[in-house]
Amino acid sequence: MTSPISAIMSSFPTSGVGTDMSVGTSTTTPAQGTGGTDFASVLASSIDGLQATQSHADSLAIQASTGDLKDVSDYMIASNEASLATQMTVAIKNKAVDAFNQIMGMPV
Amino acid sequence: MGVFDTLGISASGLLAHRKWLDAVSDNIANINTATPTSQSAFKERYIEAQAVDYGSGDGGVRVATAQFGSGEGRVVYEPNNPLADKNGNVRYPDIDLGDQMAQLIMAQRGYQANLSVIDRATKTYQAALQLGKG
Repeated sequence: MTSPISAIMSSFPTSGVGTDMSVGTSTTTPAQGTGGTDFASVLASSIDGLQATQSHADSLAIQASTGDLKDVSDYMIASNEASLATQMTVAIKNKAVDAFNQIMGMPV
Repeated sequence: MGVFDTLGISASGLLAHRKWLDAVSDNIANINTATPTSQSAFKERYIEAQAVDYGSGDGGVRVATAQFGSGEGRVVYEPNNPLADKNGNVRYPDIDLGDQMAQLIMAQRGYQANLSVIDRATKTYQAALQLGKG
């Protein structure tokens, strides 16, 4: 029931990128941003979580085709969750690439 | 607690209602099962549902246990039945088919309700992921 994709959201507030982006955090000092995890590792861990969700759905698909599946809804919900997690990871990735492109497009 | 908790919670509802459907189908399947009077009749199956607290657990529902009805049943005079005792009696389960059909409808509707929650939650999550696009 615990979706591995939650690792992304829980890791955001502790990461340097997350604290620097968030506006309302008055208690955290800006110097904390250097010690936190960078965005690349956050993205990597989120993709790992996505991989786990998809492999769970895949194993249930194999069970469905071999007739070992205990409950039909198990597979449908797992594939639904994998699809949603993929959409969410892609959305976060697109936002990050957009931000990177905007910074790269800055005239210096 | 994950991001897509609703899916897991509704999945537990689906599982509970499927087990209820299983229990009802078991009861209906054995509604004409005769036993000798020396043995107990088929016992009606009940599903005991229990809430999983959202604060301390994952939320949703789980089937705590299956309860069984009385094995006394009803004694029917059927001298031609090979299971009959010397008085010509056999034991049938005391299950009301109308009650089982009503439970069948409730279990089916509950299953459908959980399915529509999953459908609606998926659409909601997808709408949230469209934020800021375009």
